Amino acid sequence: MNRIPPVLISWATILAIFIVWFIVTNVGLVSPTYLPSPQALFSAFANLVVNGYQRTPLWEHIGISLFRALLGFVLGVAVGIPTGLLTGYNRVADAAISPIMAFIRPIPPIAFIPMVVLYFGLGEVGKVVLIFITAFNYAHVNAYAGAAHVPIAYIRAAKTLGLSEGQIFRKVVLPAALPHIFTGLKVAMALSWAVVVAAELVGAQKGLGFMISDAAQVFQIPNVFIGIALIGSIGLALNFLLSFAESKIVHWKGR
Amino acid sequence: MSISTTKTDATTPRRFEHKFKSAQPGPIHMQAEEKVNFDDVSKTYPSAGSAAGSTLAIKSLNIAIKKAEVVSILGPTGCGKSTAMNMIAGFEFPSSGRVLLDGKSILSPGPDRAVVFQQASLFPWLTVLENVVFGVKCRGISPDIYLKSAEILLNAVKLKGFERHYPYQLSGGMQQRVQIARALISEPEVLLMDEPFGALDSQTRLMMQELVLELWVQYQPTIIFITHDVAEAIFVSDRILLMSSRPGKVKLAVSVDEVKPRGQEFLASAKFVDLQASLLTALRQEVH
Repeated sequence: MNRIPPVLISWATILAIFIVWFIVTNVGLVSPTYLPSPQALFSAFANLVVNGYQRTPLWEHIGISLFRALLGFVLGVAVGIPTGLLTGYNRVADAAISPIMAFIRPIPPIAFIPMVVLYFGLGEVGKVVLIFITAFNYAHVNAYAGAAHVPIAYIRAAKTLGLSEGQIFRKVVLPAALPHIFTGLKVAMALSWAVVVAAELVGAQKGLGFMISDAAQVFQIPNVFIGIALIGSIGLALNFLLSFAESKIVHWKGR
Repeated sequence: MSISTTKTDATTPRRFEHKFKSAQPGPIHMQAEEKVNFDDVSKTYPSAGSAAGSTLAIKSLNIAIKKAEVVSILGPTGCGKSTAMNMIAGFEFPSSGRVLLDGKSILSPGPDRAVVFQQASLFPWLTVLENVVFGVKCRGISPDIYLKSAEILLNAVKLKGFERHYPYQLSGGMQQRVQIARALISEPEVLLMDEPFGALDSQTRLMMQELVLELWVQYQPTIIFITHDVAEAIFVSDRILLMSSRPGKVKLAVSVDEVKPRGQEFLASAKFVDLQASLLTALRQEVH
């Protein structure tokens, strides 16, 4: 068994699930109301690709969700990484900001939805703000950990080499924190994607979150499953992209 | 050639450890030869666990190190030898007394005192060449100058052809050679080596010690070499300062009268063996 390539084992598991799924739905063990058959889902998917959902093309639902998630993510990490590094490296900034961050961090982002709707309404800004908070949180805490755990030998070496404080921050602390930063980016990305779907459940007219909640209300169960599968696949793809970038940029990690 | 040993403690007069009471603005000719001085230096640390207590790591240390001299500070774990080095580097400061470079108190780290660390301190995101030139590049020195020096130094430490490798692609000995090249590129007056070969196997270690002496012949820096290995101390040093266990002070100062560079044959000489025997005896009394 140990000589079988892992990829083969993974595919075998997926295939096994499909086979079980195909059998239980086609012999009538499970009602199609609760779990559609694979072929029913495929035809529903083909219909969505051709006709769209609620007069909006499928790619537009995907696109708007991606736009909200990525815009919030980019803004969140653009602020979260520098502040995280600064608070992790500088004790004054640490003392000033970290208690507030420690208070905000455990609050689930969806708990902010009512206030975000109150402040920003049901439009795009509110959704992006919600994702911004999410991405900022996780980018910040991991950049903080990265900066706080730079080996003392790196800092001392940089000082004996004659670097200024600013140079040490940019050319030693930042790259040394990159492995942690990437961990933060991956968590922030996964949660941004999760939160955009949650945000779209409330008062959106487009997006994958809107699609699954709307389809569920009119009992179009195949469309709900397709929405869920698309959310999963896109989340996987985003994570894969970040992992690929990580392996290129943080090439020294784990060596 | 005779082996000169001088016992030093609080009561007997020091021959090598020159008291530096009239440091500045004293007459220049007196200290012209001296590069680094410990002037009655003590260092205490707050004890872990107890709020009131404190540990005396170094007590009334007096050392004078001459320009271009190679001095080993030898001692058991916890004798304060690394603390002494950290104070020359400017990473730590005395609780009382002064540590002086060219007669001036050391206030911060700087490129005039390069350090070769025991642990991995090369930047893993930079190649060998980028690591070597990192400091000079950041200090705004022209690439025309530093690239030429880097080439010469990488040749000298036998790393030609490895310029584009990353530290994780090198063996431990090669990584330490990169550290040495990185330290020497700014032509430091003082080279601090903190148990630099402690993690290497004995064969590699001997090659590294020979390399240090070859580089000394070329660059003639003042070298302060921290080690707990008696043979290593004898092989590389002009003078060995044996430190007692906590609180650390110089228990014994020994001169090694042998021209540098030195080869393997020195290890088998009667002089080496005698020195080793007397130092091991003295060191054993400090290991509890």
